[in-house]
Amino acid sequence: MSVYSFFIFDRHTECIYSKRWTTQQPGRPTTGVANDSVPPSARKAMKDADDAKLIFGTVFSLRRMVRQLGGADDSFLSYRTGEYKLHYFETPTQLKFVMLTDPRAGNMRTVLHQIWATLFVEYVVKSPLAPTEHRGGKGVGNELFEIGLERFMEVVFAPQQ
Amino acid sequence: MVVFALLIINKAGGLIYNRTFHEGLQKLDSNDYLILAGTFHGIHAISRSINPAPAVQPPPGYRRPQTTGIQSLESSHFRLTCFQTPTGVKLLLFTSPEQPNTDIVVRRCYEIYGDFVVKNPFYAMEMPIRVEKFDRSLGAYLVRPG
Repeated sequence: MSVYSFFIFDRHTECIYSKRWTTQQPGRPTTGVANDSVPPSARKAMKDADDAKLIFGTVFSLRRMVRQLGGADDSFLSYRTGEYKLHYFETPTQLKFVMLTDPRAGNMRTVLHQIWATLFVEYVVKSPLAPTEHRGGKGVGNELFEIGLERFMEVVFAPQQ
Repeated sequence: MVVFALLIINKAGGLIYNRTFHEGLQKLDSNDYLILAGTFHGIHAISRSINPAPAVQPPPGYRRPQTTGIQSLESSHFRLTCFQTPTGVKLLLFTSPEQPNTDIVVRRCYEIYGDFVVKNPFYAMEMPIRVEKFDRSLGAYLVRPG
């Protein structure tokens, strides 16, 4: 069981925090175009930003679809494909927490809630240096939050012996 | 444990069948169902492209690895099971969240679709399904008596 990535989106649809746990990509067949002016690192950053936008769009549409079908008090929880599972949690302030894991992972709603309650609120919201709105992810990725998240995920996804 | 509804979406994202079996979902008009089918078709395609899992070797004859797209979706009120046939038709089954073996149920619906719709010589592919025997057979399978 493993975690692939984690995103926080604010109420202005902006991705204010994203973290990826690298799974070593075994030499993706890069089409060797010699006159490609964009360096691979920049291309990867662009792809990551695009992925975050796609994930937000997906979650946004599914959330709307679920509300339409299940009524106003229904909430979208997760979806699963053959390759991964996307977990979703929304706070009352419309912060959206999204996590992509292995398809075998169980319900991660409590985990996302814990990240919000014990890490985000403690280290980001209560930080005197963090602004109220995190434009461009400002003030979210501080050291305490990073370390806390890293530790927490290690515990949650520890290999069960 | 109930099946709320079954939707069939053709390979272009158009809704070709839509039937409610039990109360439980909000009532939508046919236009909303059409929009919903189109939206889901798009999201399904996106969900294949945001695959974060390490790339696997594509099977021989394919240029890129096969990804499945959304197979099941959970909300607090219902569960949606999506089955995509090799020809790109999607069967969407809405059930209560605690319904077990939804993948088997949706496969059986696919069999019924194959038997009564695809084998029907008067049915034009990709067009809305108006086949009486299909309706009856689905009803016999999914509507619970009483």
